[in-house]
Parts: sequence; structure tokens; C-alpha cells
Amino acid sequence: MTLSAMRTWVAALGILLSVSAAARPVSYTGGWTLLQTANRASTAGLLHYSISHNVSVGVRHEWQRGDDVTLTALQPTLLAKRWYGHNYQANVYLTGGLGTATDRSVASLGSDTASFVGVMTDWETRTLFVSYEARFLEQGKLGNHSMHAARFGWAPYTGDTGELHTWLMLEVDHRKHFDNKTTVTPLLRFFKGPALFEAGYNVTDSAPMFNFTYRF
Amino acid sequence: MKKILLILAITLTSLPVLANDNHRVMDHHAQHEKNQGEMNHDEMNHGEMNHGPEHSHGSHEHPTENAKEDVMTMSAPAITTTDDITAALANGGAPVVVDVLGVVCDFCAVAMNKIFGKREEVSALYVDLDKKTLSLVVNKGASLSDEDIENLAKKAGYRIAAIRRDAEALGG
Repeated sequence: MTLSAMRTWVAALGILLSVSAAARPVSYTGGWTLLQTANRASTAGLLHYSISHNVSVGVRHEWQRGDDVTLTALQPTLLAKRWYGHNYQANVYLTGGLGTATDRSVASLGSDTASFVGVMTDWETRTLFVSYEARFLEQGKLGNHSMHAARFGWAPYTGDTGELHTWLMLEVDHRKHFDNKTTVTPLLRFFKGPALFEAGYNVTDSAPMFNFTYRF
Repeated sequence: MKKILLILAITLTSLPVLANDNHRVMDHHAQHEKNQGEMNHDEMNHGEMNHGPEHSHGSHEHPTENAKEDVMTMSAPAITTTDDITAALANGGAPVVVDVLGVVCDFCAVAMNKIFGKREEVSALYVDLDKKTLSLVVNKGASLSDEDIENLAKKAGYRIAAIRRDAEALGG
């Protein structure tokens, strides 16, 4: 299999199985989580293990499609604060990563050390959802990127345990290095047991979004 | 890199408390008087709690509650029965109902199922998102203390507000 074919396969997998960082990046003690995202900027996968209820460590692989740059990094995440309510939950996560970025384009600039930091916060009841996340990425000669995204969600019904949960969501993201810096993506979230799937379409930048999370 | 470190430092210092895990189990029956200073009464639905006859409200304030809600007339949620729970109870297991804070989605239920399901003492369990409860049946002859339940809930990433056992767990 050629490198190009492999990248196409990874992208396709990411589109089929992808996830938003808004799906909580720390699980229960001893739990594994597969997170994959595909949005207008990148296709990414994160496999992490929660060593406690508030710390996870994982491996991230990301393909920044516009620049044809791949990033592979170790990614720890800290649940810095969780608020527990009778009818709600709110969280603040801090994350970071250190690894290598590689230019895969024909006129390749080679590889460089990459690092990033991020913050994610969310507030959720059984019918309302609000989140915000930001990430700042440095890749040396391969470029630096920043991203901000906010989400608003509403569930038209409250599903009980094990039932299909459905959410209508709207995501607004801002990426300084894109021509369309601020864009809007309406999406649907489906949630059942250990699996979460999201499908949306960026109406500003004409790009699909597919996200997936699985806990085991 | 300097920019990233600066942003990280600002984010860290802006958080009032990191990983605040100091909440205590809120066993509203046995420890209410003792722990009232540590409880967030705004988060607890007192209307659904059975405070029990020993609970005295004359000795402390519930500033956010009205007088009607403070009368303990409503019963707390009883155990949720499933086929597994019914069978476990029929085998002599002991019912336990745990009021859980922060349970809003199926991932919460998965976490509780994984953590509590690994315990040999537990013969059946069910997380009820509607009631915000964890229903457990403890094997006949086994024990699972309140502290054990608190620690297991914490491992799952959640906090508990109250624990009811036996007749009280059955809604009696």
C-alpha cells in the first residue's frame, strides 16, 4: 500500500469513525476511549487510557489536510474541575501534547517537533449542552495554528439508560490560518451506551463533519 | 513554545481549584449534621430525599429552600427493578439505592456499570438516568460499605448524595 493510499484510508476511517473533543476526553479509572474526528481542518484519532477518574494519557494522530501535515503526539489530559449537580454536570479539561509533525506534501519541508496545549469546558444537562474548546499548536517550520470552537446543543427528548439519545447541535469555530476564519456547523449527535456518533456539515466552508467516540 | 507556556500558565492560575475531589459522601441520614458545612445544598434535591425521623432542621439553615419543600413528605426514589435485580433480590441479596450527582448521560451509566460491575459483592446493578440513582444488589452475606460505594463512585468520576439500604431502598 502506498503512502498516499494509506492516508486516504486513514481519512476515510476518520470520516467513518471520528469524534469531537467535546466528547469527554477522560473516562473512568481503567477505561479506554477511542476518539476520532473529521472536520474541515483535519482528520484525527486519539486512543487514551484513564489512569484515574481525572487523568488520561493517550496517543494522538492527526492529519491536517490543508497543509498535508501529519502530527503524532503523546497527549495527557487532566480533568481539572468537575461540578456535580443533581441535574447537571460541568467540566474543565486541560490537555497538551508533544510529538512530531511531518510534512507529507511533494515539496516536503521535512519534520519538526510539535507541541500543543488546549482547554475544554462544558456544561450539560439531559436536554441542554454548551461547550467551548481552544487549542494552540506549534510545529516549528511547519506552522503554528490556533483553534477555538463553541457548541450549543438541545435534546428534543430525554432518553433513559441504554436508549438512543439524540441531540441537535450547532458548532461555531474560528481558525486564524483559514480563509474562512469563522464558520458554522449544524450537526446531529446520536448517543447510545458506550458509543457516540456525530454527523454535521460546515455550511460556511462546505465541509462534512463526522465524529465518533467509543468507551471500553 | 513561550506562547504556549504562557497560555498554559494563565489557564492553570485562573482555575480556583484543580481537581477538587474533596467533596464528602453526602449520606443525608447519618452525616447531615456533621457535614452540613461541606454540602452544596443547592445541588441536592431535598424534595426527593427522605431525611428520616432523626433529621432535625431546627438546628441549621436551608436558605434556598422554601418551607413547603423542607417538609419531608416525599419519598426518595426506590430501587429500579430489572430482571437481574429482581433475580438477585430473590436470591437473598441486599438492595441498595445510591443517589448520584452529575449523572446526565449514557457515558455516566457506562462508567458506573464498569466500576461497580467488577466488584464481587455486587450481583446486579442498574443506573437510572431518570431517577439519577444507582441501584445495587449486594450478594447475600457480602457487604459493601458506604465508604466503598463513595470510593467506587469517585473512581467512576461521580459523587453521591445519599445511600439507602434494605427496606428504605425498596421504598418502604
